[in-house]
Amino acid sequence: MRLPVRVVFVTLCCMFVHYDAGKVEAQYLHPKIVEKKVTIRSAVILPAKVEIMKESAKGSEMMVAQSADISKGVMEAVDQALKEKKISVVANSFEPSALDDSRKYQLADIQTRYDALLPKLVKKSKDVKKARFTLGDEVMLLNVHKDADVIVFIRGQGRVFTKGKTAFSILSFSLDFPLATITVGIVDARSGEVLAFTKPMNSSGVLKNKKSLNKMIQKSLKKLPASA
Amino acid sequence: MNLKRYFLVFLLTVSLLLTSLPISARVVTDEPFVFGKVDQDLLSEINLLDERFEKDGAVYHDPVMDAYLNRVGTAVVADKKLENVQWKFRALRDPVPNAFALPNGSIYINTGLLALLDDENQLAAVIAHEITHVSGRHTYLRNRSLRKKMLAINIINTVGTWSPVGGAAGLAINLIATISPFMLAISVLGYSREQEKEADLEGLKSATAAGFAPEGMPNSFKAMQRDIEGEQINSFYSDHPKLQERVNYTSSSISADARKLSEDEAKTAKTDYLAVMEIVDRHNVDLAINEGRFRSAVYVSQKLVTLHPESSENNSYLAESYRTLGPRNAELTEQQLTSGAKKKAAKTRDKRTFEEIDAELLKTPAGQEAWKTNSQKAETLFLRALELNRFNASAHRGLGMLYERLNRKPEAAGEYAKYLELAPNAVDTERVRRRLAVLRESMN
Repeated sequence: MRLPVRVVFVTLCCMFVHYDAGKVEAQYLHPKIVEKKVTIRSAVILPAKVEIMKESAKGSEMMVAQSADISKGVMEAVDQALKEKKISVVANSFEPSALDDSRKYQLADIQTRYDALLPKLVKKSKDVKKARFTLGDEVMLLNVHKDADVIVFIRGQGRVFTKGKTAFSILSFSLDFPLATITVGIVDARSGEVLAFTKPMNSSGVLKNKKSLNKMIQKSLKKLPASA
Repeated sequence: MNLKRYFLVFLLTVSLLLTSLPISARVVTDEPFVFGKVDQDLLSEINLLDERFEKDGAVYHDPVMDAYLNRVGTAVVADKKLENVQWKFRALRDPVPNAFALPNGSIYINTGLLALLDDENQLAAVIAHEITHVSGRHTYLRNRSLRKKMLAINIINTVGTWSPVGGAAGLAINLIATISPFMLAISVLGYSREQEKEADLEGLKSATAAGFAPEGMPNSFKAMQRDIEGEQINSFYSDHPKLQERVNYTSSSISADARKLSEDEAKTAKTDYLAVMEIVDRHNVDLAINEGRFRSAVYVSQKLVTLHPESSENNSYLAESYRTLGPRNAELTEQQLTSGAKKKAAKTRDKRTFEEIDAELLKTPAGQEAWKTNSQKAETLFLRALELNRFNASAHRGLGMLYERLNRKPEAAGEYAKYLELAPNAVDTERVRRRLAVLRESMN
């Protein structure tokens, strides 16, 4: 009797994850955006940090090079999604190889500031609607293009399962799925207020498929008003 | 019945093997380490990670400090030549007191730890500890051990799921399948603690052999015991032995006839070290403030002012630290350092933003009193910095921010204007200009 109950439970969980991933409704907007007090016309996308881990039957392994490639892919997907909202994306001036030490440090410090806020953003995303979160006007230290209204932060995590790990997961009916979660934070380029936050989730296979990735990001930014 | 017994014996044997692995997997230093495919794969990833630290601006560069770290590190390494190891000694831009080694020979010491240490002997001890991790191939050995254990756990879990036995035997199998991940955690941590102890004791030997005072090792742990932020929380899952334990066993390992620093030598060693680290310490103060480690910022900048009391810049750093400290007390009280209070504070940090914590503290009499004291100290120190050098732009900016928070708007506007005049091309010109514009608008 024990086995069928577990099978049903895992199946229900799979269905829930699939349903939830399909919906991608985790989008939170600051009142200024909802009330149209602020219109986003132009954005700067900071280098994304998407970490992918390979999960085998023998544990986790880093995938540093693949993570860097996927980070670029996610940045491109966000770039495209914003352009579809008629939000122009300022050319990326934060390519690490083009930066001197002091510029690298400024970028790293702002990224660290965002990373410190991220757990709270993920846990209490609804509070974005209450205008609770800000990075402070320290964001201006980045000196992004003067036309840029917002700065976009991208983070993500994904797990890629090997065949062995997949086999063990299926055989032990574990609630272990190769999922990928991406978070996109859109921050006012002057005040540092978090204007929009989204956290789409899907199977990690989406990270390798450009079309699916674009679709996921596009859906996740669906509520963001288009620039007039 | 035989089948049940077979499953039980199998699972219990594997579980017992798991707990005994740490003892059997200790480093055998006499045998040369042979790289397998798993180790090569790990090394490739580590090399990429190392490059990424550099690209991401995580590594701090200053020619004097780079040369200094290299000199101390090279002295400790002596003639150790290892396959797939290229020794590099770098400072990581992180205000948390920590250091770590990558198995490719890159040793990173956080700016937070560099700022906490008192002299070169302590630095040599920290580096020697990390070098032992590399030369003992600890990362590779731990990775190999972990992989074996993970595989065993997966097998146990699967067998547990499919076990066709019921009753007491089935219950026992399920119990083992459930607790085995915890057994894994304990055995891996135990393994790590063994390696840490080995790194402490071997590190002590190599630092001493390189001519550094052996007391640097226990003293470095004593320095780390300064719980400035109240974050040293005792937990079951700790991969390092307790600091006091490390002080004790490293102190007792120092032979009675070992070289001891005289009082004068110790004083000189401290002053020399602080002089080299001055620029790193300043950088670390900025990092600490950025990451909300305000008490650490005060601690380090106070060291800077003690070193060079007549330095306008150092006074300005201390002033800025007090300004950003806000309604917090500069040093944690005994009550705040109790285990319960530290856990409660950690929970608050997880839930609240810095602005929210500030606002909550300002509602309390203690918070108001602390803000009054800190803002007065900040103002005095900023003014002192300007007395020492009236062209110190950052002191004007800091005063502007302090006055703005104290709602002394005209004075704040004046200080911002002065800053813009003195530093028209600074990185934060736009930020200050915007603040000034908002202030002026609110005054009209």
